[in-house]
Amino acid sequence: MRLAAASLGTIATCWLAPKPSPAKSWISSPVHTNILRPPGAVPEEIFPARCIRCGRCVEVCPYQAIVPLDIRKGVFAGTPLIDVKKIPCYLCMKCVEVCPTGTLSRIPQAETRMGLAVIDKHACVTWNQELALCRTCYNVCPFKEKAIKLDQLRPVVIEEYCTGCGICTHGCPITRKDGEKAINIEPIYAFKPVRW
Amino acid sequence: MSKESSRATYYNRLRLLSLTMAFCLLLLVPILNKYLHISFIQGWFQSLSIGHLWFVSPLEGMESILTSKKLYGPLLIGMAWPVLLASLLGRVYCSWICPISFLSDILDRCLGLFTRKRFRRQHSPLPKKTLWYALLGEIILTLVIGTPIFVFLSPPGLVGREIMMITLFHTVAIEGLIVIAVVLLHLVSQRFFCRYLCPLGALLGIIGAKRRLAISTDMGKCIECGTCKKVCPLGLDPIKQECFSAYCWNCGKCVDSCKVSALMFKWRDISLPEYPGGQTNQTTPHPNT
Repeated sequence: MRLAAASLGTIATCWLAPKPSPAKSWISSPVHTNILRPPGAVPEEIFPARCIRCGRCVEVCPYQAIVPLDIRKGVFAGTPLIDVKKIPCYLCMKCVEVCPTGTLSRIPQAETRMGLAVIDKHACVTWNQELALCRTCYNVCPFKEKAIKLDQLRPVVIEEYCTGCGICTHGCPITRKDGEKAINIEPIYAFKPVRW
Repeated sequence: MSKESSRATYYNRLRLLSLTMAFCLLLLVPILNKYLHISFIQGWFQSLSIGHLWFVSPLEGMESILTSKKLYGPLLIGMAWPVLLASLLGRVYCSWICPISFLSDILDRCLGLFTRKRFRRQHSPLPKKTLWYALLGEIILTLVIGTPIFVFLSPPGLVGREIMMITLFHTVAIEGLIVIAVVLLHLVSQRFFCRYLCPLGALLGIIGAKRRLAISTDMGKCIECGTCKKVCPLGLDPIKQECFSAYCWNCGKCVDSCKVSALMFKWRDISLPEYPGGQTNQTTPHPNT
């Protein structure tokens, strides 16, 4: 009964929710700040062509961080995404092992490059206030002292080691006015050009 | 089936059992993955893995290769199994495994409880060839758009996806309406989607055009009562040797229905010219026509 209500609700919201520009979201990539592809993903230019939407990465993810898109995303429908503000990637690397098409290539944990964590120094309380000493991002980072270091007690991201898993974004207590955090993952590797 | 039948066959029951087991697998796999974290069996009929044995639906894999222009070993190996199955046994995936077949058959059985008119929807609104054009059109559209989007919308995969969405996220995706539409269309015209529009079925049909297992007609026993044509879910006529064509999906309904046991599954050697449907025979339409 509850399931039926929930499904009806989903269908209702699909039709009633205001959509800014549906046609544009059909062909432009859904990947942007804090909305990332799973680990090992091929660049965004080739991703929707290679992924067969089998959903095995979605099914295997033990944290249910990976969510498939639905038909409203046009050509990107069915492809997997991680919203790190909701549930970040804990880098268990199960999804890259089950992908049947090589869209998520089999890479070791430390070589994952889902994006790059970028600290907004105006929003971060440790950077813009003298007294606050928040270092949540530093504490939660799975590559502590490598990917995030402390520079005079203020967090600094080392680009070379950051996997873009988004655990820091998930943990960050500061939410900006636009809904993003004080440390955000920018998918800078997703838009690399592809040699066909 | 009459009493005088020397060898009563039960392919219908076997097939329903197989369909039910395949559907139960779809129901069970997301539960195992979500609640018990067992990822030994994983996926659904778009891509299924049992341990390290992977299966990938050939249509999906082919479109991925065509659009991304990249070959990937595990993908090719995963596609090889269904291709092998189809080349030996024909379109058996469609009739013995596919969840759309299961839903249609269950719907038929439920309706059969209320009405006696069993053959009420047996008419052919479109020529059979539409199936090949559907496959061709789908591949061309995929190449134009550049993403295998139509495999995402293919109903057999959608059933698995919706079951996963319900189990994992307690929600349904709107594309599930396609499954409902296909099943409702089945009520209007029998197996309309499977007969005329399913690109996966068409691809498996082409692969299985020279299949080894086929239904053969013993014209000596046949009394031409026409029962087999009435029960065929695809509207084929075994008397006209249409069961050798690429359309037949070896479901065995006609074998069960035959009162005089004139029909049977036969393991044929297609290199021999005397078999109808062999390489020298005219009755097999070429799939690419």
